[in-house]
Amino acid sequence: MTDFIYSSWGALVITLLMQIPFLIIFFSVVNKKAFVDNVAADTPAEKYTSTRYLWIAVVLISFFVINFASVKYMPTFVEANAELSNVKDVDISATSWKFDMSERSFKVGDTVRFLAKSEDTMHSFALYHPDGGLLFTMMLMPGLETASALVHTFDKPGVYMVRCLEYCGVNHHGMRSVITVAEK
Amino acid sequence: MSVANTLIQKAPFFGRMFQMEESDLNPINSWPALMAMTSFVWLTIAAVLGLSMPAIQLFDLGSHWYYQNITLHGAAMAFPFAFQLMVAMSLHRAGACLGKRADGILVALTYILMNVGALLLTVAVLMGFHVTYTVMFPLPVVGVMTGQWSMSALVIGFTGIAFVLLSMILTYPIKILRMSFFEKKHDELQLAERSLKDPGMIGMIMGVLVLLITGLPLLATASPILLHLYGIIPAEWIAWAVKPVVFEFIFYIFAHNLMEAMAIMIVGAVYATLPLCTADGSRRLYSDKIANLALWILLVTSITSFFHHFFTMYPALPSTFAYHGNIMSFATAIGGALTIFTILATIWKHGLVATPAVFLILGGFVMYILDGVTAIVISNVAWNFKLHGTVWAGGHAMSVLIAISMIWMGMLYYHYPLMTNRTINDSTARKCIKYFFLSFIGLFYTFLVAGAAGMPRRNAAWEGDWLIYGAMLGVFGTILIYSFFLYFSSLRNSKALDF
Ligand code: HEM
Ligand SMILES: [Cu+2]
Repeated sequence: MTDFIYSSWGALVITLLMQIPFLIIFFSVVNKKAFVDNVAADTPAEKYTSTRYLWIAVVLISFFVINFASVKYMPTFVEANAELSNVKDVDISATSWKFDMSERSFKVGDTVRFLAKSEDTMHSFALYHPDGGLLFTMMLMPGLETASALVHTFDKPGVYMVRCLEYCGVNHHGMRSVITVAEK
Repeated sequence: MSVANTLIQKAPFFGRMFQMEESDLNPINSWPALMAMTSFVWLTIAAVLGLSMPAIQLFDLGSHWYYQNITLHGAAMAFPFAFQLMVAMSLHRAGACLGKRADGILVALTYILMNVGALLLTVAVLMGFHVTYTVMFPLPVVGVMTGQWSMSALVIGFTGIAFVLLSMILTYPIKILRMSFFEKKHDELQLAERSLKDPGMIGMIMGVLVLLITGLPLLATASPILLHLYGIIPAEWIAWAVKPVVFEFIFYIFAHNLMEAMAIMIVGAVYATLPLCTADGSRRLYSDKIANLALWILLVTSITSFFHHFFTMYPALPSTFAYHGNIMSFATAIGGALTIFTILATIWKHGLVATPAVFLILGGFVMYILDGVTAIVISNVAWNFKLHGTVWAGGHAMSVLIAISMIWMGMLYYHYPLMTNRTINDSTARKCIKYFFLSFIGLFYTFLVAGAAGMPRRNAAWEGDWLIYGAMLGVFGTILIYSFFLYFSSLRNSKALDF
């Protein structure tokens, strides 16, 4: 369940869950007060206050829940919980417009730590699932000592596209590569 | 006749929107009208460029054109359109509410720096300087070294950007601050008196302070680089400024807060105008205190939420800053939630007079909130790794600018009779609003769905489903352009007020 919520499609669903109630409430209030009875309301002051507290409570609680539940998917957490003895380090060097990788073939179940650096301008190392969805993107800022790093465990065999998602000049779209993952 | 009025008189097509007689109110009307008119010229050019982008991809016209047009489209929409329109309307508001002249050297300089700067940048982009409106430092320099564009394109482009920055960071904020606190008051110009304690005024002052304060470090970093490019100072003197991590952080502290400043300013403007459109004529918000609280929350939390631009650098961006940015981004939405409450409670308590101005302002506000949801979602560290660099992010940047501009366009409807002694064409305005909102929703959700599907932003080679999303952007973009045309018509076909 949370795996879906913290995917990109989950982001869209949560976005809609926040937007749709807002749209309904906003348009019904405007419609009522602009067309149906556009006069001052005699709602007692306490009613406004209680509605306000309720509304802010709903917002605070949902923000807390959304962010708290996401901790599991943050890179620090993923890294801390990977069995580090089994992690394969893969070094990546990005230059306009190609990726040099120390290894490009893996097996299902492999846990890999991608360590990526840029040699010239801003790039990213973005990994796409064989089904077309984006697994993650890492921004690579040139001139840093520390490589950008992310741990990922491959769960499906196939051809994974690698793309640069930070605009890097006239052949930015050509900055692509592939990783292959074989059955166990 | 004043320079500004003459320029309006002479402008083909657009001039007719802002024709005005010489009057005692020229000091608050002329320059704002000229700026609004000029911003619409940029909007027209940039909208055609926007529509050209799906066309370039669908008909395979070449990546060169895509990167050229996305740079021109983004830059023109953000600066000489959206920002300039905001400058126009806020100068007019400050003038009429405080009784201060909205003309003079700082206003003229703002106008010249913004528009000449944008023109220079346009020339550079046409010379091949395809860096997008976020510059992507150190790309401008790397591009010269790798032969993607010439050194002269870089120098002209940076000069243009410097002009635009000077107007946004110095001349405009200083002018608003001077009007608010120092300049001489003219009673005959004060048409709608407001004190500086008014939420509408506080929002404006906060906005320009943010621009000034977060912009100064950028000016301090960019100026030596420019001086070096002109051959005035040696390379060793700028080594610190051209480090990508230095420039990028200083750039985003400004760029992020530029958007926040525009948002705070617009919330202030809504707070100021909505009460004037209530049915019971009370001219009051539900609560000034809560309105001000929302502005303060927005101000304080937005400043450090800029870290969300760098989450995916992990671990080069220490996690503590990432979590801070994550939490502050959601905290801005608490300010947003209080704003929603204040707006709805005001409408509920006092009723609403349904004019086109109100609908455009409220429509823009709805867009602003819808967009805000996508902004906080992508500001969660976990989701950011899945959405950063996709058109979700690009769509958010575009949508917040459209929302803000729509509110200012509504404010212009509201101010229009005061500015020109004419009233807008009501039926065209109502039609415009329908198409505007419809096309916004279409563009907005297309970007979101495409972003969730992993479609990269700023990528000149759409493939598979991305082409379908692109075609939809073309369709909704055409409707949006039609709504802009209706907007212009509603001003061009305005009627003289009879007394
Ligand atoms: C008139 C119809 C419009 C169309 C068809 C259109 C289309 C597009 C497209 C296709 C992109 C590029 C997406 C990508 O590859 O990343 C884009 C980006 C953008 N648009 Fe628009 N747009 C329109 C109107 C507007 C308006 C009214 C504004 C602002 C007020 C705006 C501001 C932006 C910005 C800031 C970007 C980001 C540029 C970048 O990422 O470098 N657009 N638009
Ligand atoms: Cu790249």
